[in-house]
Amino acid sequence: MKVFPDDLLYNREHAWVRVEGELATIGITDYAQEKLGEILAIELPEVDSYVERDEPFGTIESAKGVFELISPVSGEVVNVNEDILDDIGIVNSDPHDTGWMITLEMSDSEELDDLLDSREYHDFVLKEAESD
Amino acid sequence: MAIDEAIFRENQRTYAPPTLRFYSWSPPSVSLGYFQSTCKEVNVEACRRYSVDIVRRPTGGKAVLHENDLTYAVIASERNPLFPPDILGTYKVISGCVAGGLSELGIVAEMKGEGRSNPDDFLKAACFSSPSRYELLVKRKKICGSAQLRSKGVFLQHGSILVDFDPVKTCALLLPQDGDQTQLAKKLHGSVTSVHEQVGASVSIENICHAVKKGFEKKLDIKLVEGCLTLEEESLKLRLMNDKYMNDKWNMEGKVQDGSGNSD
Repeated sequence: MKVFPDDLLYNREHAWVRVEGELATIGITDYAQEKLGEILAIELPEVDSYVERDEPFGTIESAKGVFELISPVSGEVVNVNEDILDDIGIVNSDPHDTGWMITLEMSDSEELDDLLDSREYHDFVLKEAESD
Repeated sequence: MAIDEAIFRENQRTYAPPTLRFYSWSPPSVSLGYFQSTCKEVNVEACRRYSVDIVRRPTGGKAVLHENDLTYAVIASERNPLFPPDILGTYKVISGCVAGGLSELGIVAEMKGEGRSNPDDFLKAACFSSPSRYELLVKRKKICGSAQLRSKGVFLQHGSILVDFDPVKTCALLLPQDGDQTQLAKKLHGSVTSVHEQVGASVSIENICHAVKKGFEKKLDIKLVEGCLTLEEESLKLRLMNDKYMNDKWNMEGKVQDGSGNSD
């Protein structure tokens, strides 16, 4: 079974968030990238745009289809990982670290309270994988 | 496209029962996959000359010429027991339904497993030339292409069943154009088939639609009930038409301006 880092929080749409002060860095989990298979293309928001919690912040295409990326928190985009735009394979090879996607300046840090910790996410994934 | 996306978005909110839609296209159109580049995949000038519209799908995959095809859309929750929760499993089940429909017409179609085949650049650009994701082959030729969009626990699958196939026109409308057109058309003819070719006679789109509907009902052991759009779906459809699917920015560049869709 996958290991999900303890210093991240997770939503049920398989996105993770790393919080540093008011900044939230977001990516997709190792479980998600494995489920999608080889990622072929990605579209991310522009810096200064606003992302809503539980709404799409980007889109990915793999050989299996197109998938919207659902944001765990709301905020203004302050940084986008240009490296993955140049080499999309990083999302498959290192999803929890260098495969990060965007950084938001959070507008409501209380939204973090609704997210799962690594243990809760692990259980959630286990349940989902069982039904697959 | 706007209707399919409206039903898909509403399903994310309402968890309504699954929907199966059938339609054909007027005027004829080329539909592009979500991430495809218009200028790299479509001969825009030739489309104008032939009065063929260009529209971008919310689903993935390759370019498709919709002229003599029956398009279907399946919209359902990932957790609906009619479909397996895994992604490829839904392709497999839906392909089984379509294969059942084709068998009603006397066509024996088999499923191609995972992965893609044709290495040829042009053949890769045209959706029908590269069978993948449990798509259907008849005598080793592709007859149906499909692609999905997934978000918030709901999937939309588009599929196109070829009623008739014109490899020369397909070659003229889809890029690249730098090869020998006659050779490319021949190759495409060798890897793609249609209902008309297999039945050996003309079959009306209504009859194909009826057969495929029956295929879904038999395979899934369900009775399909005709419905119409809810007020919310109707209103979202109009918004999506105006802001997205009738907008060149979306169709040509893949961007929407007001955040109503799934792009920036």
